Amino acid sequence: MKTRKKESEASRMPDHSGYFGDFGGRFVSETLMEALYELEKAFKKAWSDRSFQKEYQEVLTEFVGRPSPLTLAEGLTDHAGGARIYLKREDLNHTGAHKINNAVGQALLARRMGKKRLIAETGAGQHGVATATVAAKYGFDCEIFMGSEDARRQSLNVFRMNLLGANVKEVDGGTRTLKDAISEALRDWAQSVLTTHYVLGTAFGPHPFPLMVRSFQSIIGREARQQIMKKEGRLPDALVACVGGGSNSLGLFHHFVGDESVRMYGIEAGGRSLTAGEHAARFQGGRIGVLQGSKTFVLQNADGQILRTHSVSAGLDYSAVGPELAYYFETGRVHFDMVGDDEALEAFDTLSRLEGIIPALESSHAIAYGIRLAKEMGRGKILIINLSGRGDKDVLEVARLRGGVLS
Amino acid sequence: MTSRSSQKQDRSGKKIIPYLMAGDPDLSVTRSLLLEARKAGVWAVELGIPFSDPTADGPVIQKAAIRALSDETSLLNVLSFLGTIPLSERPPVFIMTYFNLFLAMTIDKFIDESIRVGGVAGAVIPDLSFEDAKEVRESFKAAGLALVPFISPTTSLTRIKKILATADGFIYFVSLLGTTGKALTLSSTMEESVRDLRARTKLPVCVGFGIQTPEMAQKILDFADGVIVGSRLVQEEKDPVAWGNLLRQFCEVASVAASSPHQ
Repeated sequence: MKTRKKESEASRMPDHSGYFGDFGGRFVSETLMEALYELEKAFKKAWSDRSFQKEYQEVLTEFVGRPSPLTLAEGLTDHAGGARIYLKREDLNHTGAHKINNAVGQALLARRMGKKRLIAETGAGQHGVATATVAAKYGFDCEIFMGSEDARRQSLNVFRMNLLGANVKEVDGGTRTLKDAISEALRDWAQSVLTTHYVLGTAFGPHPFPLMVRSFQSIIGREARQQIMKKEGRLPDALVACVGGGSNSLGLFHHFVGDESVRMYGIEAGGRSLTAGEHAARFQGGRIGVLQGSKTFVLQNADGQILRTHSVSAGLDYSAVGPELAYYFETGRVHFDMVGDDEALEAFDTLSRLEGIIPALESSHAIAYGIRLAKEMGRGKILIINLSGRGDKDVLEVARLRGGVLS
Repeated sequence: MTSRSSQKQDRSGKKIIPYLMAGDPDLSVTRSLLLEARKAGVWAVELGIPFSDPTADGPVIQKAAIRALSDETSLLNVLSFLGTIPLSERPPVFIMTYFNLFLAMTIDKFIDESIRVGGVAGAVIPDLSFEDAKEVRESFKAAGLALVPFISPTTSLTRIKKILATADGFIYFVSLLGTTGKALTLSSTMEESVRDLRARTKLPVCVGFGIQTPEMAQKILDFADGVIVGSRLVQEEKDPVAWGNLLRQFCEVASVAASSPHQ
């Protein structure tokens, strides 16, 4: 009974102003405020509407290919020599990552709201591809903002978005990565808000996006919970997910937050080192600030200027983190740690060779930590790692890093 | 005390509020621009502090922020810099920048420093929504500083009433949907909105975003209390003489508008 009560507490957050404890809010220009209210109202109505849920579930089944399997990774388990490792296979979703769960949900919502155009930011390109995909399916005009550095790193995804009929706008401002793509999407939205829905891809930004994205992603943990109960007859001992903004981690964690016995690990990008600008470990090197709509942990200098970040994976290469995760950091519910570029690249190889699964570089961070953790936990324990995406998109970049250029 | 009293509930005359980016290209030029503004007789200056991620700004101000961004142009250092200029050589200033810079400095320290250097009337913080601003607004009010509220074409009447109930300084009416620097076309809707706002508040209602020519300023001043001129002037910032000349053209149309029979 106790755990059930806690779970409902997690589901009651954020509060009516969009705060998870001290984190969250709606730090945007006045022009966007009414749109956020409209969106919150539309989302809450749809989320509690049976016909919307039915439609959403149907698309997840028929178009996305859910439920995604929970695969026992025998090779990886042997390799780590400890806890039994399961992989939640978001890599098997249509378009290759968890991002589609949210893109589908928001597209259905935007259609209900009568919007004609979708815009989105993208880092690794997975969310851009997911948004371009649902735009094609439902007949929206679509524009994707992508930092020019990311567009270079993820040229395959740029091509895919174009194939799907989206216009990819490369952003040259700032650090030319995800952060700058979000700024540009917010600028576009301020101008186009009457006809356009902004499909934010992670559990970040102004309220209600953190709530909405978490809700659309929570299907991951809901399935994983049922699957592990069926396979093992009990809850897992630990969950591991990589943390960029927080959408795949919160998606996995949400339905387990109330289960005190389940430990949760959020893995940030340690990049090259913990020197400022060389990593994206917000909980290691950041402090509370406001960026792009949300009060949360932000990598910044003493004056409040946002620091550059670095990660081998574009999807984790971001200066701030979702406000709900900031709350779980403060309460200690989620344990945060980091994995650097080299260890992630090693895990990329390890999973490919031992399991026949090429993971996304983002997910490789979770795999690397999962190997460490499984060893520590020891035999008889159960660990679920969220395999948030597949690595096809990263093959060119990894080849480039290793000096062999494919073309 | 601050010099804010002269900026309070002042609906007489027509106001020109130039926006300038502190430290673009350096602070000695900023000092000259402030003096030019003072001589031109502006009501106040919006003094921008460069921020690394200016989400509400268009390309002109984004580029100015990149040029200006350095350790010398932190919020704290710009306030100290203001303190080195005699009050007679600068107009009253509203600090304009993004909320993270205030948080990093802390609101208390911002208030203390503003009072210490004098001539700071308040702040304009584009990403601090009315809903999230309560504590800041109360701290400012207690210290005699104004947190200038925005009202945009999308703001509902319900929220307009809430915003006006605690408003201070002036009302920043956003002329268009989008970011700073986008070209504005005049509409009767805007005129109606501004007239409606003026009927609901005693504070001056000033219109900003996209005002690129003195002629356009003149038309807006026909129904508004003031205009904020940003990107157009920022383009001239490197040359204080050209900047001053352009600013004076805006000030001239304001003084003509002030004496027009409409008012």
